[in-house]
Amino acid sequence: MRLIIRLVLALCLVVGTNSFAEPEAMKVLERMGIAAKQLNYEGVFAYQTGQNLQSIRIIHRADEQGETERLVSLNGAAREVIRTNDLVTCIFPEGKRVNVNRRPLGRGFPSDLLRRLGSATPYYEVVKGKQGRVADRLVGELIIKPIDNYRYGFRLWVDKESDLLLKSELLAEDGHVLETFAFSTVEMGKTIPDSLLQSQISSGTEMTWDRTEPVSAANMAATNLLPRWHIAWLPEGFSLVAQQNRIKAKNGATVEQRVYSDGLSSVSVFIEKIRARHSHLHGGSKMGAVNAFGTILSAHFVTVVGEVPAKTVEKIGASISPADGKQR
Amino acid sequence: MTANQNEILSALVDGELQGQELDHALQFLDNNEQAREQLQRYQFASDVLHGNAYDNSQIDLTGRLLASLEDEPTYTANISTKQKAQVISLPQPFWKQAAGLAMAASVGALAVVGVISQPQSQLIPMLSTAAVEAPTQIRAVAASGNRWTVEEAEIADRLNTYLVDHNEYAGASGVFSYARVVSYDAGQ
Repeated sequence: MRLIIRLVLALCLVVGTNSFAEPEAMKVLERMGIAAKQLNYEGVFAYQTGQNLQSIRIIHRADEQGETERLVSLNGAAREVIRTNDLVTCIFPEGKRVNVNRRPLGRGFPSDLLRRLGSATPYYEVVKGKQGRVADRLVGELIIKPIDNYRYGFRLWVDKESDLLLKSELLAEDGHVLETFAFSTVEMGKTIPDSLLQSQISSGTEMTWDRTEPVSAANMAATNLLPRWHIAWLPEGFSLVAQQNRIKAKNGATVEQRVYSDGLSSVSVFIEKIRARHSHLHGGSKMGAVNAFGTILSAHFVTVVGEVPAKTVEKIGASISPADGKQR
Repeated sequence: MTANQNEILSALVDGELQGQELDHALQFLDNNEQAREQLQRYQFASDVLHGNAYDNSQIDLTGRLLASLEDEPTYTANISTKQKAQVISLPQPFWKQAAGLAMAASVGALAVVGVISQPQSQLIPMLSTAAVEAPTQIRAVAASGNRWTVEEAEIADRLNTYLVDHNEYAGASGVFSYARVVSYDAGQ
């Protein structure tokens, strides 16, 4: 009898899954993820949040060596982000600072969107919308609505010819647009020389370098650097998709990052051992559509960050507690 | 006393130690007279900063100042009233700085850089020693847009570092996700 009940429940889940997502729309989403990883493209896109509008140049190359990408701010200070297979380098010329983070090896980017996409369908309605034009190219629209108000919705405009994402809107529960990314010009399939992927900061510029290095699993186990933590609440469908531990070269602080995702939305929980007298976020903060919630627990900074509503990061953050050495 | 030992004592005053860390700190206090004196100084600074009464300290500057003023000869009733009013109505940061200077005399290893008042709703105060590692830059809180809505540069920097790491796993906006980092308005 139990077996039958389980089979019925499983069937309901499958039926529910299919009822929310149009198969053709899901295929477009998958192709979009592949295109983002495999295409060479160069263009300028606008990023708008609130009253702020920023123009950004993006150059992306994919070849046998893997992926390399460079983003440069075209307004104000010429901030840059350069991503290679194993490093993310952020250059902030106004603060004369460079942050270098080692990435999980061999993942490409976005790190694992394709793998996660299939698990998103029960929590979003994914349907195709109208055709349109973005950056002088024909696009098809995808409308993605969440099943609850713990995650945002999306409207995506995908290039008909190449499947590259050309425009994206992040939508609040009431439908208003929180963030817009949209290409104004884009070229695809061209050869991209190394010079375009290198920082234009002159070699004579004095910069402060901050690095974080991953802690190997063996090292973590041997030194038992971090206590265990328990997260009692996550939105339905969110599960652990990645976990990494890093050491900040600047002060030796160990930072644990856990990423929870439903396939489309994700939140990161950062747990950082307090190494000195510092202040930390207490409660919520936001930047564009990204919300953060911070607190201090057992001499650790605990911070939840994600492109989800404020109440989601707050509820997750409030449910975190030390697990008294027991692994959960 | 090493910097690390000072850090442990300060964390003890702030109630941040638990389990084994707490046991070690208490054992350290048991065996070390200098540590006990240091703890008293940290406790004093914490009490002053949190506005708690403190009437049993050898470095109670506020009490001494007030006592000295009370002992001053009274020339006329008007002037006396005025003098007292001036001292008593000094803003809270004055007393915080006085406590900070007292700490500077006692804790040579730490640099006193002044005291910054923070709205309690935004920050967990971690300044109980009145001595922090480096000058902390205050920023205006942006109502929205591409800046973190926090007042302290140090916290915004930490959130930005987290944002970079989080972007690795951004969802549908993956192609564009690092735009948030590139666009961050440092307010400079």
